[in-house]
Amino acid sequence: MTGLLAIGLLLGVSMLIGVYGVRAARSTPDFLVASREIKPGWNALAIAGEYVSAASVLGLAGLMLKHGIGTLWYAVGFTAGYVAVAALVAGPMRRSGAYTVPDFADYRLGSQTIRKLCAVILLVIMWLYLIPQFKGAGVVLHLVSGTPYWVGVVLAGLVVSVSILAGGMRSATYVQGFHYLVKLVFIAVPALVLLATAGSEVRAEAFHVDLTAWSRPLLDLDNSGQPLLATWSVLIATTLGAAGLPHVIMRFTTTQSARAARRVAVWVIVLLGLFYLFPAVYGLLGRVFTPELATTGDTDTVTVVLPAVALPGTWGAVLTALVAAGAFAAFLSTSSGLLLALAGGLSHDLSRTGATDVRRLRLAVAAGALVAVLLSLPAAAVDINVLVGWAFAVAASTFCPLLVLGIWWRGLTVAGAAAGLAAGVCASTGAALASVAVDAPHGWLTVLLAQPAAWTVPLAFTVMYGVSRLGTPPEWAERAVLRLHMPGGDGYPRR
Amino acid sequence: MPLRMRRRVQPVGDTATVLDAAHDIGEQLRDGLHGRGTASAARRLRRLIRADALVLADLERPLAISGPPPGPGELTALLARTFDHGATARHAAWTAVPLMVAGELTGALAATGADERDLEAAGRLVARSLDHSALRRARTRIAQAELRTLRAQISPHFLHNALAVIAARIRADPDRARTLLNDFADYLRYSFSSQGDYATVAAELQATQTYLELQRARFDDRMEITVRMAPEILPVSVPFLVVQPIVENAVRHGLEPRPGKGSITVSGFGEGPLCVIVVEDDGVGMDPELARDILAGQWQRPAAEDIAGSVGLANVDQRLRTVYGPEYGLVIETAPGQGTKVVIRVPRFMRGVQAGGPGRGGRASGPAGPGATARGRPAAPPQSESAHGSPGRAVG
Repeated sequence: MTGLLAIGLLLGVSMLIGVYGVRAARSTPDFLVASREIKPGWNALAIAGEYVSAASVLGLAGLMLKHGIGTLWYAVGFTAGYVAVAALVAGPMRRSGAYTVPDFADYRLGSQTIRKLCAVILLVIMWLYLIPQFKGAGVVLHLVSGTPYWVGVVLAGLVVSVSILAGGMRSATYVQGFHYLVKLVFIAVPALVLLATAGSEVRAEAFHVDLTAWSRPLLDLDNSGQPLLATWSVLIATTLGAAGLPHVIMRFTTTQSARAARRVAVWVIVLLGLFYLFPAVYGLLGRVFTPELATTGDTDTVTVVLPAVALPGTWGAVLTALVAAGAFAAFLSTSSGLLLALAGGLSHDLSRTGATDVRRLRLAVAAGALVAVLLSLPAAAVDINVLVGWAFAVAASTFCPLLVLGIWWRGLTVAGAAAGLAAGVCASTGAALASVAVDAPHGWLTVLLAQPAAWTVPLAFTVMYGVSRLGTPPEWAERAVLRLHMPGGDGYPRR
Repeated sequence: MPLRMRRRVQPVGDTATVLDAAHDIGEQLRDGLHGRGTASAARRLRRLIRADALVLADLERPLAISGPPPGPGELTALLARTFDHGATARHAAWTAVPLMVAGELTGALAATGADERDLEAAGRLVARSLDHSALRRARTRIAQAELRTLRAQISPHFLHNALAVIAARIRADPDRARTLLNDFADYLRYSFSSQGDYATVAAELQATQTYLELQRARFDDRMEITVRMAPEILPVSVPFLVVQPIVENAVRHGLEPRPGKGSITVSGFGEGPLCVIVVEDDGVGMDPELARDILAGQWQRPAAEDIAGSVGLANVDQRLRTVYGPEYGLVIETAPGQGTKVVIRVPRFMRGVQAGGPGRGGRASGPAGPGATARGRPAAPPQSESAHGSPGRAVG
């Protein structure tokens, strides 16, 4: 019950911030002076808030329980992705003025076909990413109120669509920033309390390192016997995937300048690095307190279940409520960001006339949420982190090559980009689907299907490069690329 | 591109198919004979008139050949004869018709194995498409010229009033006078700046703010200004001088005629892929019909009115629609005595719209150069689109 209360409170506060606090309101004319003082910090908080999803709050600890400490490579990749973003993408993306990846494709290649192809891929990634968020919400609601899984999922879909339709349409920097803080506090405080109250025996057991079994340093997916390959594949997917996630890329175009964009990316690394310390605590303690979850398969619930098991009584209930609210914040901020990006693609890039009005955008939000809910219903058995891993793998094998080659190589052609994108999306989604459908023999094949980035990313890069070499880029390509690297080309007023 | 991918067999006399083909050819030739749709237009034409081979040529050389090409000498002779006589010419199995665009010879359409009447009709179709593309380019140029006009149209009254206000304060309140003079200098610099056709929302707001500061001094602070702006949209690029004319309109026609205190609110926020800017005043408002007429450019200003009247609103509306397409015009909500609310709603990103760059205006050219138009969009039907939302809706 306390859990439901905490979630309700969180929703209320988010709505209030969304309605009243989103827009910096000033009645004095020094508004612009003030607005230019908005620190990159807020933008970084917003990005981190949107980025730390159910995968990080619930999935990471859950997968850790199942596959061992090596799972933390996911966290490393999620964070390290912003090194790639800061170094390769953030600044030039800001200079291009493009708001979404389809926009960028349009800017760089000048082709509506590529724009539409990008929009389709965007939908694939966003839905792959939304399913685990909705699953997380269903699981959390089930744990705190006992409702069946599907009720939670449907309710989550409703909450997110309604909160977007009732004002969240205005991309809400402050709400997302607030959610990061909620997540950090609500995950960190219980983790620290549990660590402190657990007693030295438990701590010793939790931190006991045995390199042969559970606490081996590399990630062994499904005991495939190929830990090195699996680890690399996960790292490639998460690191390069972050550089291709459409809703993350969007945030950088809202910064003041290319320089600010890079600074924001660096701040995000700090914020994420701080956050990812804590899911690991739940994984370590979970192995001591709730090892039975690994055999029943409900590993994604460990973060929410743990406080009550480790600390029975009122305090346990309060901590559970906190964690549940944190998990719900993760779900809420990530999925509203995802859903907005998805709706934008659906209504703006894929519509026949190209015009967008509010009504169509609303319709697209509702339709996107509906599809995501329907897809999440049968996904109860799939691990949150695995699904998110696929979203990252698809992003890494499609948008990442497009952005990196588009920004750094003038030779990219429309045909090359189209071929690379098609190869990337087909290979990565195909492999992911195959790993669910086919019961492959253990070994490297399992890894290559379940975590395909290790081969799909090089494939996409190669195809994009190779096919581009066959044709000639238009003569304005050089100017378009040059502009992406031109200092001060962001048109912001200076006094 | 659904239009270009459509391939179908054409039964004879199917009106819709023929009209479809005519439309497709028009789209493919929207950048003129030297655009990149010429080759596909040639293929489409060849199927339309069921020719064995077809050539589209300008005055110098063949631009697109569909089907087995004619011998080089053959084609040269054929084209030379067509251009010499300015009429249909035949050479061996080939027939050619001249393309007359606005009374001027611009090229030729040659085919073999087609009915001559079909070929002549196709020639007229191509000529009309080329004429349309020329008009489209002209529209872009006109929009740019209008922008320059608007820039030159800073009201002499405003200049005079601003300087008079500053002069009046120099002794009594030298600090304020200094600030106002700085604002005035900033405003002039922005209005006269020649940095391309686009500016960021932040720069637009800054110009608006300096303008409002000067007006506030003139109004003896009887005017309240509120700016509510989501930081996300500050870097968005919009056409140069779209916000300030609307605010100017609100001050001149909303607040000035109104006794007592008035207020203006400028707010902006992101709405998915859109950027929305709203200018609201609680002034005298106007008749919705009048607002409609102003936007349609049909309103004749009374002779007594000075030069820079409501031309601003119509101009902004026209430029927005030229840059972004007919769906993105201004929306005015007003009623007499109820204030006025003007809404700009534009995409956050549009190819070619970029602040600080050597933009050349219009959506047919961008930083990435020509040949990269916003294809697939319907061309703006000139002046006929009533995409102004509901100008009749009153503000509560």
